Amino acid sequence: MRNPLIIRHFFLVVLSVFLCTSVFAQDKVRLKAEYVKVMNEGVYFDIQATAKVNDENVNVSKIELVIYNLVGDEQVEIGKTITNMQGKSRFALKDINSIKPDSSNTYNIDISFAGNDKFSDASKSISFKNADIEAKLVSIDSVYYVTATLIDKSTDSLVVGESLKVQIQRMFKALPIGEEFNETDEDGTILVPIPEGIPGVDGILAIEVVLSESEEFGTVKAIVNAPIGKPVVDESTFDERTMWSPRSKTPLFLLIFPNLLIFAIWGIIIYLITNLFKITKS
Amino acid sequence: MKNYDKLLNDLAPQKFGKKGVIWTITLIVLIVLGIIAYIDQIIKGQVVTNMNDYALWGVYISNFVFFVATSFVGTVTVAVLRLTKNTWRTPVVRIAEIISVSAIIMAGITITIDMGRPDRLMNLFIHGRMQSPITWDVIIIPTYIMVSLLLLYFPLLPDFGLLSKYYKDKKPTLSKWYGKLSLNWTGSEAQKEIQLKSISIIAILIIPVGFMLQTIDAWLFSTLFRVGWDSTNLGAYFISGASVAGVGALVCVVYVLQKVYKLEDYITDLHFDKLGKFLVLTCLIYLYFNLNEYLIPQLTSKKEATTHINVLLTGQFAPLFWFVIIGGLIIPVIVLLFKKGRKPFPMFIIGLLVVTGSWWKRYLIVTPTLLHPFLPIQGVPEEWRHYFPSLHEWLITIGTLAMSLLIITILVRYVPIVPIVRTAEEREELELNKNTAK
Repeated sequence: MRNPLIIRHFFLVVLSVFLCTSVFAQDKVRLKAEYVKVMNEGVYFDIQATAKVNDENVNVSKIELVIYNLVGDEQVEIGKTITNMQGKSRFALKDINSIKPDSSNTYNIDISFAGNDKFSDASKSISFKNADIEAKLVSIDSVYYVTATLIDKSTDSLVVGESLKVQIQRMFKALPIGEEFNETDEDGTILVPIPEGIPGVDGILAIEVVLSESEEFGTVKAIVNAPIGKPVVDESTFDERTMWSPRSKTPLFLLIFPNLLIFAIWGIIIYLITNLFKITKS
Repeated sequence: MKNYDKLLNDLAPQKFGKKGVIWTITLIVLIVLGIIAYIDQIIKGQVVTNMNDYALWGVYISNFVFFVATSFVGTVTVAVLRLTKNTWRTPVVRIAEIISVSAIIMAGITITIDMGRPDRLMNLFIHGRMQSPITWDVIIIPTYIMVSLLLLYFPLLPDFGLLSKYYKDKKPTLSKWYGKLSLNWTGSEAQKEIQLKSISIIAILIIPVGFMLQTIDAWLFSTLFRVGWDSTNLGAYFISGASVAGVGALVCVVYVLQKVYKLEDYITDLHFDKLGKFLVLTCLIYLYFNLNEYLIPQLTSKKEATTHINVLLTGQFAPLFWFVIIGGLIIPVIVLLFKKGRKPFPMFIIGLLVVTGSWWKRYLIVTPTLLHPFLPIQGVPEEWRHYFPSLHEWLITIGTLAMSLLIITILVRYVPIVPIVRTAEEREELELNKNTAK
């Protein structure tokens, strides 16, 4: 008699576990985060939330993420953000001074998702040190160069042997220039020549020097606006009277012809209304 | 007055019977429901509609285009028949004028409903650009309303004068109103001369204005680089479609009024026969333009055009598309080619089919194109891929249709639907001709 009872209990336990896992099954959210610092502009975190649903990677949209600054044992909330339809979110800080480093001058950030009906909770931690890139344009023997120095602000020392990218901002994707890897020398500096004849609006080139996704410093970017490009000929019709101009620059034929037509029609209408008065009087 | 006794007895506006009262109350109830839905739409915003980033024009714009099309009846029947001296037009022209006025007023109201907040209408005047067909539309609609009102009003003057005398003892207040509306009409030669001259001017004026209205309505679509709209054919296509919608609506209203007011002596089988032939002509012209509109893109087989047309011919919108083409155009042509088909009752059924087909045709012009943008629909909620009007949209749309019918009903209540003086004059001329022939 004992055996069937055990089997029955075992069956009930298995069924309960199965039902619980079926009813409360939640997919796990994976968070990716990147720290980006743009010199003289600001600091932000690019966050991406994905999940594996039915063996397929999907972007997790409209979830709320809480961002914490970890200082020792203390966890300070610095803000909240919501992912967009692509599961992405950008959380911007006013500047790096908005957060505090730990005793080793390392900044520790924790991005946390509390979970919901569909997805279980998740978190992602990133750590980075503060670094600066000081970039400027120099001219040596009539050739323009970008020189950039990478400085570890946590120790106020120059960073040697890190690879920096130099590129020019374009509409769709930045145009790389110089070597693929420009390693900083013993002065923490790179020197990259800028080719002649690169077009830019009003001849201005926005040259970026980027430390990309460094394990120690994250992504750091400096932008130099250099008036050394080939000026782009302005083909804008901004000052012309076109079909796509604002109302103050309507093509003349569109001002004259339709208005003439409208005034003519309304002139006749007014004449007809005066006829009504004439009928009253006659 | 003696000559007019019988005519006044038959044609003077009459009080509604029981059916008329029920009909009016039903319309008022539908309008009130529409107004409630519209107020809710203003409070909550257009989130109450099923329009979205893709289907940004929905049933409101379809309904607007339908009203604009139906208003064309004033141009096709009144002006064209007048200028071509078709004498049989007399008993039906006023009904056409009434439909025209009602439809164009409702077109103006419907477009305001589509704007969401009605105060945005002012932005079209403050920020409107002459390069935009929307600005032209804002100008041409009030112009057409004005011309349609004048076209209705001028021929009414002698009838108002007559009714003022007719009701002098029976209903003094009504008589006073008719007197004011008649602008002291005495029927003097000077008055007649001004009136006839004015009518001739309006009859000519309404043709270019009507054509401009329909063409601008078409250009609202064809100036956009969208599949199904980007066509040089669209202006003429809209004009021919408007003729179908207008004449179809006219047939329906003429039949109902003939039966309700027992006007068989005035609106005869001959009028239905002529209107039937006219409807066949308009349907055939519209079928020809439909052929151009759908066959050529299908033959040239541009990828996006083929996708769009396949959705209409065999896809999601196929049942509606074939109902519109077969039910709204081909069947009417076949039935109306036979003399028996042009009898009043079959004509009424065909008229209803044509009007229903015309309404859905506008829905097919607007919606499928919007659901086929050039860039793929992605990264948006699934429901944005489809569009079907919400309850709010249906209530408001039905409310506007009811309001249009109520305008017709009110005008029919107070305005002689068959011109009395004109009919008397025609009958006198006929008698005179008979006597001369003897």
